[in-house]
Amino acid sequence: MNDNARSASEGSGAERGAVGSKAGSNAALRWQRFKFQLRFLLAVLRARPMFALGYFIVISVIVLGIFAPLIAPYPPETANPEDFLQLPSWKHLLGTDATGMDIFSRIIYAPRIDLTIAIAGTAISAVVGSLIGAIVGYYQELRGIKSFISGFVMRAADVLQAFPVFVFAIALVAIFGQSLQSIIAAIAFVNAPIYLRLMRSQVLAIRNMRYVEAAYVSGASDFTIMLRHIIPNSLGPILSQLSVNIGWSVLLTAALSFVGAGVVAPTPEWGSMIAVGFQSIITGQWWPSVFPGIALALTVFGFALVGASVEVLADPARRRALGGTLKQRAAEAA
Amino acid sequence: MHPEIAAATRDPAVLSARSDAILAIRGLSVSYPVYGTEAVRAIRELDLSIARGEILGLVGESGSGKTTLARAIMGLLARPGRIDAGSVTFDGRDLRAMPEDALRAIRGKDIAMVIPNPRGELDPLVTVGRQIATVARAHLDIARDKSDELALEMLKAVQIPDPKRRFNAYPHELSGGMAQRVVMAMSLVCSPKFIISDDATSGLDVTVQAQILDLLRNLVRSHQTAMMFITRDIGITAHFCDRVAVIYAGEIVELAPTVRFFENPMHPYSVMLLAAFAHNPRLREKWHKPLASQIRAGTTGCPYAPRCVHVEDQCRGTRPALLELEPGHFVRCLVPVVRPT
Amino acid sequence: MRILRYVGKRLIFIVPQLFGIILVSFLLVKMIPGDPAVLMLGPFATEEQLAKLRAEMGIEGTVLDQFWIYLKNLVQGDLGTSWQTTQPVLLDLFQRFPATLELITISLFLALAIGIPLGVAAAYFKRSMVKKFSDYYGLLAGALPDFWLGLVLIFFFYTLLGWAPAPLGRLDIAIIPPTPHTNFLIIDSLIEGNWQALWSALGRLILPVVTLGLINAGPILKMTQSTMERMLESDFIRYADTCGLPRSVVIRRALRNSLPSIVTIVSVLYGFLIGGAVLVEIVFSWGGAGQYAVQGVLNADINPVLGFVLFSAIFSLVIYLIVDLIYFAIDPRIRS
Repeated sequence: MNDNARSASEGSGAERGAVGSKAGSNAALRWQRFKFQLRFLLAVLRARPMFALGYFIVISVIVLGIFAPLIAPYPPETANPEDFLQLPSWKHLLGTDATGMDIFSRIIYAPRIDLTIAIAGTAISAVVGSLIGAIVGYYQELRGIKSFISGFVMRAADVLQAFPVFVFAIALVAIFGQSLQSIIAAIAFVNAPIYLRLMRSQVLAIRNMRYVEAAYVSGASDFTIMLRHIIPNSLGPILSQLSVNIGWSVLLTAALSFVGAGVVAPTPEWGSMIAVGFQSIITGQWWPSVFPGIALALTVFGFALVGASVEVLADPARRRALGGTLKQRAAEAA
Repeated sequence: MHPEIAAATRDPAVLSARSDAILAIRGLSVSYPVYGTEAVRAIRELDLSIARGEILGLVGESGSGKTTLARAIMGLLARPGRIDAGSVTFDGRDLRAMPEDALRAIRGKDIAMVIPNPRGELDPLVTVGRQIATVARAHLDIARDKSDELALEMLKAVQIPDPKRRFNAYPHELSGGMAQRVVMAMSLVCSPKFIISDDATSGLDVTVQAQILDLLRNLVRSHQTAMMFITRDIGITAHFCDRVAVIYAGEIVELAPTVRFFENPMHPYSVMLLAAFAHNPRLREKWHKPLASQIRAGTTGCPYAPRCVHVEDQCRGTRPALLELEPGHFVRCLVPVVRPT
Repeated sequence: MRILRYVGKRLIFIVPQLFGIILVSFLLVKMIPGDPAVLMLGPFATEEQLAKLRAEMGIEGTVLDQFWIYLKNLVQGDLGTSWQTTQPVLLDLFQRFPATLELITISLFLALAIGIPLGVAAAYFKRSMVKKFSDYYGLLAGALPDFWLGLVLIFFFYTLLGWAPAPLGRLDIAIIPPTPHTNFLIIDSLIEGNWQALWSALGRLILPVVTLGLINAGPILKMTQSTMERMLESDFIRYADTCGLPRSVVIRRALRNSLPSIVTIVSVLYGFLIGGAVLVEIVFSWGGAGQYAVQGVLNADINPVLGFVLFSAIFSLVIYLIVDLIYFAIDPRIRS
């Protein structure tokens, strides 16, 4: 955020000068900076409506999931055999499936499962993967046992990544049994190498920077260097990867359920709903799988957009370029 | 104000409308918009003209707008920069009014550019001979074998040893000096009327630099080509250029025939530059006062005032004009350095 | 000569890599609960029968013993038997792997045909509709579940319009399949001149190929676009502009310099799709390799899973080798 802050403070030098005590000026500066960033974010969202759409989708999916019991007109897991395969109508907004369950209610309930699995799985893999990646990257170019272990970890990650991802995930679920925890574990396992590699390459790049060398020479411990210099500087790519990855994990969860290795049928989950609707679609009843598919795609789309916005905003150079473009557009419009 | 200055008049006709000018820039302003504050003014109402066959040295520190000026002439400003005002007339044609495709036909053919970091400027996947030949073919409408021949001739002309073998070399197989020669061959292959050399030798060894400069001067002189020679090294201009222009914060602060410039520099900044070049530690220290090169729109006064040793109160409020203080010698300063004759 | 030495070096590393992959996957699938012997003989089998079968299948003793037996058989080209199909795994895979390969190869060609031109155009025309469209397309292709897209296509083109054939395998049941030479249906029917089979096979390829092609064009598009953008900003392309080279030459040079990244992403997709196409295979009852492996995992049938992992690992390694050779061909800096 430094250069925004700088340009903000350059613009408001007089105001800053007016503040007397040091603590007061810090608080004022921070408030200035916050106001500037907020204004900048709003300008970005206005100029890039897709980013705004992404945040809107993600927030609404989460809100819908949380308040599902209040919104859903029907219980999500109660079959009603008399009302099977009803077309969308005012009674059943998105129709019913082959067992007569209300599709709208189930779609609203589904994020509770899908997002929980995806967010938990991604979070675990990000924390574990990037920690290991940071350590591996930090010690890789040294000699001795630490370097040997680092090399070994990378080879192990190679082998894990050589596995066909999907078959690997199914195998993990098969091993641990079909439960929420094991699906989360499988997703965490499959994603961890991504963060391991990403963090490692970041650390390798940052490690050799002059300021890290300077910190090392001035006697900072490995731990301090990692905590103060390396991790903060490699956070940007990880954050943007995180959001994209959550979307991707939602897809993977749905895919697992689709082949019957994930969430089991009556529980509302987009992938298994699509699978349930699979048979009816050939006979012409499209709604049981089409609607959950749209919900799934929209959610993943939203997370991808958020990831794209983070990617731009977390990179000072690209943020600055975007700022220049915004200004230019504003000038052209005026 | 010094009496001599009062007598001097600003004469734009001399600046930009010389009848034999190959390039005439009038009132050119370029800015880079920045979010949250005023735009950065890279070039401010700049007037400059270059005669046919003339070599003009353009001297300035980094960030002074040298490269921006070069790119603005070529119509290749880096985003988000843009030209706010002014005109660029080349050989009687208004470049700013030309469509992109017409500009493309002029670039490389009539206006060529030599740039620093030559190895990065060559396509790593194509042999250097082919790259030279491609430029020739793009502009000269000749057959492939003819363009290959021409490329080989150019390689000989820039004195690359063993040109036949180098023709098929890839850029990564060349040394920096050799690559610079290739770039020169590329820019000269269509016998352009005007060359912009943008800090072309900055990355090279001093000895190689001298060889390349000699070569460049001979080639330019023998082809009667005009050149704008951009450099940070004021010393090179002394034995290389017909006229010297000093650029500071996007404006020309002094412009004079080379001999006059070195005999009698009048702008305090030029004096400082020369002093720095003269390895005088005391003067260099003064010269290293904080840089204020990012001139925001709306800035009043002389942009050099914060660093100037001769600064007076009037300098902070009034922007000085570019005045002709002696024949052909233009200075943009309210308190120019005047020496007893 | 350098190429040969390079390839040799790569080949030496392949053996330990494969060994690692087999070891890990063996330990992994061994952890899947379920006793194949019980599953095969049913709940009423006697203990002697079970023990005898286990001995035959090489699944008695410790895991390491079993791994040793598996390795010994593997060296002789025996990948074991699948208890579901009761056929040797090698035979099964020779039937199913080509089915998957045929599908994903053609799909990737479609994806390339969409992704590269769109990516190049989007990178060159920075503030155009094409750029907008390809931005949306890239995000959307990454968000759409391929199995769902397959279903929607089936609904439109089979159920509703009746243009596409039923999503039931690679060939119409009524048509006599060509003699399997390669098990690639297109090649086999071409060899025999069996036009009817060729026509049917091509017809059935359309929907799954469109499904996979549309989805996988996304990453290719993104990679092409971002690399091209970087190349177009690079010094040598800017200098090509400075030299006034025609647009076509400039674009060609930028594209050529982007090729290594594009080749890389294609190879990654290729390796991924071997198993990743399984969902689309299920939707279209394709009977491919991925489906075979997934059935194996879900039914504690470990030999097909191991065989599949081995096959796809070798396939990936071969692909990466080819990729390296392509780098060699493109980039003179690697050659020297």
